[in-house]
Amino acid sequence: MEESSSPSVCDFELLDTLGGDSIKEILDSYNGFCSTSDALLNPTSVNLSVGREFVSHAGVLCKHGLHSLVRDLFLKSLEETFERRGALRFWQHFDAYKDDSLEKKSKNIAPIDDSEVQQVLCKALDEISAVKRYQENCLLMLVDALETDDERQYLRSKYQLVVSSVLMASLPRHFPEILHSYFKGKLEELSAIMKGESEGDDDSENDDMELDEEGKSSHKNGAMDVDECFSQGKFTENNKLVKNIGEVVRHLRSLGFTSLTEDAYASAIFLLLKDKVNDLAGDDYRGSVLESIKHWIQAVPLQFLTALLEYLGDSISQSSPSASKVSPLASQSSPLYPASNAPSEGLIRWQLRLEYFAYETLQDLRIAKLFEIIVDYPDSSPAIEDLKQCLEYTGQHSKLVESFISALRYRLLTAGASTNDILHQYVSTIKALRTIDPTGVFLEAVGEPIRDYLRGRKDTIKCIVTMLTDGSGGNAAASGITGDSLLEELNRDDEGQDNIGANDDFNTDDKQAWINAANWEPDPAEADPLKGSRNHSKVDILGMIVSIIGSKDQLVNEYRVMLAEKLLSKSDYDIASEIRTLELLKVGCLCRTLIHFGEISMQKCEIMLNDLIDSKRTNHNIKTTIQPSQIGNEEREMGATIDILDATIISSNFWPPIQDEDLTLPAPVDQLLTDYAKRFHEIKTPRKLLWKKNLGTVKLELEFEDREIQFTVTPIHAAIIMQFQDQISWTSNKLAAALGVPVDVLNRRINFWISKKCDIMQGIVSESLGTEPNDHVFTLAEGNTDAGKNAGNGGSCEEMLPGDEEGESSVASAEDQLRKEMTVYEKYIMGMLTNFGSMALERIHNTLKMFCVADAPYDKSLQQLQSFLSGLVAEEKVELRDGMYFLKK
Amino acid sequence: MATVNYNAPSATPTAAAAAPAKNVDTQSVLKRLQSELMALMMSGETGISAFPEEDNIFCWKGTITGSKDTVFEGTEYKLSLAFPNSYPFKPPKVKFETTCFHPNVDVYGNICLDILQDKWSSAYDVRTILLSIQSLLGEPNISSPLNTQAAQMWSNQEEYRKMVEKLYKPPAATA
Repeated sequence: MEESSSPSVCDFELLDTLGGDSIKEILDSYNGFCSTSDALLNPTSVNLSVGREFVSHAGVLCKHGLHSLVRDLFLKSLEETFERRGALRFWQHFDAYKDDSLEKKSKNIAPIDDSEVQQVLCKALDEISAVKRYQENCLLMLVDALETDDERQYLRSKYQLVVSSVLMASLPRHFPEILHSYFKGKLEELSAIMKGESEGDDDSENDDMELDEEGKSSHKNGAMDVDECFSQGKFTENNKLVKNIGEVVRHLRSLGFTSLTEDAYASAIFLLLKDKVNDLAGDDYRGSVLESIKHWIQAVPLQFLTALLEYLGDSISQSSPSASKVSPLASQSSPLYPASNAPSEGLIRWQLRLEYFAYETLQDLRIAKLFEIIVDYPDSSPAIEDLKQCLEYTGQHSKLVESFISALRYRLLTAGASTNDILHQYVSTIKALRTIDPTGVFLEAVGEPIRDYLRGRKDTIKCIVTMLTDGSGGNAAASGITGDSLLEELNRDDEGQDNIGANDDFNTDDKQAWINAANWEPDPAEADPLKGSRNHSKVDILGMIVSIIGSKDQLVNEYRVMLAEKLLSKSDYDIASEIRTLELLKVGCLCRTLIHFGEISMQKCEIMLNDLIDSKRTNHNIKTTIQPSQIGNEEREMGATIDILDATIISSNFWPPIQDEDLTLPAPVDQLLTDYAKRFHEIKTPRKLLWKKNLGTVKLELEFEDREIQFTVTPIHAAIIMQFQDQISWTSNKLAAALGVPVDVLNRRINFWISKKCDIMQGIVSESLGTEPNDHVFTLAEGNTDAGKNAGNGGSCEEMLPGDEEGESSVASAEDQLRKEMTVYEKYIMGMLTNFGSMALERIHNTLKMFCVADAPYDKSLQQLQSFLSGLVAEEKVELRDGMYFLKK
Repeated sequence: MATVNYNAPSATPTAAAAAPAKNVDTQSVLKRLQSELMALMMSGETGISAFPEEDNIFCWKGTITGSKDTVFEGTEYKLSLAFPNSYPFKPPKVKFETTCFHPNVDVYGNICLDILQDKWSSAYDVRTILLSIQSLLGEPNISSPLNTQAAQMWSNQEEYRKMVEKLYKPPAATA
């Protein structure tokens, strides 16, 4: 048996000295010890004598040097008893929730009834604590019997270990969940109380302010104020609640559930915090929520923790040794400053932890919705500001970039999105991200996919130019929101030009250079070193927009086309806004190193504008000088004097190619033009005026029997209707001949007059089938007008503009120009294939580069050529076999 | 042959010596040939075509097809055109690269055509040269033949056609 073996192991000599009496004594004592300890640990038969007997038996055994035996034996029986009486029963309390929790998971319904759990938990804890306390008392008795003080600590910790290991070993899986739901319930209760309090205080009106001030001051001074606000006694009502919780926590700790408990309340707090953040942040981006989240952290979880830690801190000194083993995060603190106002280190840690968590949660929330936020950017700037602060704490910029790029790809960069929308979103993105990250490193990463995508779109340039220039066209244009802001951007750059200009200047004075150097900051770690350091102090929206296009020449070209169109459509010579835009484009770009439209490329545009200014002067000059010499017959017949003519005189070399259409104008008008041109030649010898007769606008008035209608139309429309002045009915062939235009053009244009309803349900010109096929007869509808019907409208003047229904434009678009260039290349390619039989792509490319140098120098890339060639293949003009191109025969 | 000199003027010592003086000329010749190429490409002329060889604008390849209703209908002939530095004041050297059975073309492809020799004028250009050669195919000058057999056979068009077909080798798609 043990009693003989253990000494024999330890001390053989001692065994020899033992006489029969001693052995008998030992055996008796041992039996007595066993039975008394059993009796002692089973409270049913407790009485004092048992205790005394137990002590004496233990004393006898100790006398014989069997300390360790006594100790081990007693601890063993303690463990067994605790397992049987304490742990088993303790867990039994929670058996009811075992299924519940499972069910809850599977059904996803409301969690375990909180109040019930709380009660059960409290009861169970009380019971087990009672058991434990009793056993501890027994242990104390043993310690007394052993009469060794140094054993006391050892035994106690040993016992603690026994208790926690027993509990841990039998820990049911759902217990953490129960703890979690307990804390959650308590915290919600607390939160509700806080809310109720603040609402209750609303009567005193200044509560909000007070809260705000508190929040602000605590924000300013860091955590210093935390304890102050809690010591104000305002929250004393909660003390009871917190005390309850503290009690539970202490019990749990003494049972060795320290970390489990901490996990439980930490996760409960975080969960609550997350809910709160979600609740506050929501889908509304127009307000900043960061401050209110901070307030809430101060008000609820931190207060809870303060109270809890304080309570536990007090309790540590008086009881359970286990408290000293508490996790460092929670409670190292309180004993040091039991009652002082200084916040404990643990509390500060908690605060930082909570704030970080709040920042992270909010950041994740915002990042996930960043696309929407940017869509309503100017309104959502508070949300952006929040996000910026969050990111400063968490530093998870890359998360933002990744998530945003994928959102872009999924939502914006699809075939369904219009180029304008994409551009607008791009601008918003630039602006928003500029707030978050002034260095533009992340913007670079985010902008890349958008730029790539936009480059693949045909109308990108056009949209950009429209955006750039439309802002000046007045706010009437509904779509001009971004246009305005883009121009604004130009303006702003204009103002800031001096500084930037100074930066680029070689003659920067040393002081400025020193300041610049001192302000230097390294790129963020996420910066792509390949892209080079972006030491421009600011992100330049225009630059980023233009970088989409790749070359400024293309942009300028498109702008020129657009400008030409605008200028040609002007009937007065008012070009102030165009001049402004041009200056902005020029100036805005001059100072920038990245892109500059520069004077040279803008020169043509300037000449175009100057043409208009000159036109005004020349026009005036001609009209005043022509008068005396030209009072002729026509004037009286037609009522047409040179007065009605305003010319826009352009230097065609500097204008984009202009669509030329032949048109024979009615003789009197033509005469007028000739006179004008003659006079021009006289004034400006040797220059001659060549009319583009198809361009311009004509204001004309149609007189019917009962009324007059005014129109503003293109020359061809005017010419058509004028033909009806002398002859009421025309066949389309004859009319086309008279006008000098092809029949199909005539048919297209005359639709304008056919479809024009002059108040009655009939066109001004009606169409009927002619005798020959494809020959229509057009008749002026004047005779049919019923005067009586329109008495009310008689004499009214109407301004009717022929819409751009045909989508016609006076200037060849950049796209057309490109197509024209490409046809030249096509001829060359055909030519070389005819003579060389077959050629590889590379060779065609080189040959074009070599020989196609005249009007439209070949400047395409190999890829562009390849796609052009595959176009020819598709048109069955060319064949591709084994990498060689052949002429299709 | 003389053409070699024209192809690579700087390769011969004499040309190198005269280089400074000729440089300006070369530029204007270059311009002229470029614009001729442009005109030819844009003319949309079918049946005749020419294009400079890979890296030398003085050396062109040409293609003419036999006109309809002649014995050469349906055939295609390759030519080479070598322009002198003094072009357009001197005519280019034009030769048939593919065998052509024709009274005014010898077995080496040399062509006997007045405008390519003494009747040359600077008003002619690649396009007119090619058109002249194309019409020469259908209307040979029997009086001064280079190929007497062809000249004799010309009177018998049917037999001539058979001969053309027999000797004709469609140009391979050579680069």
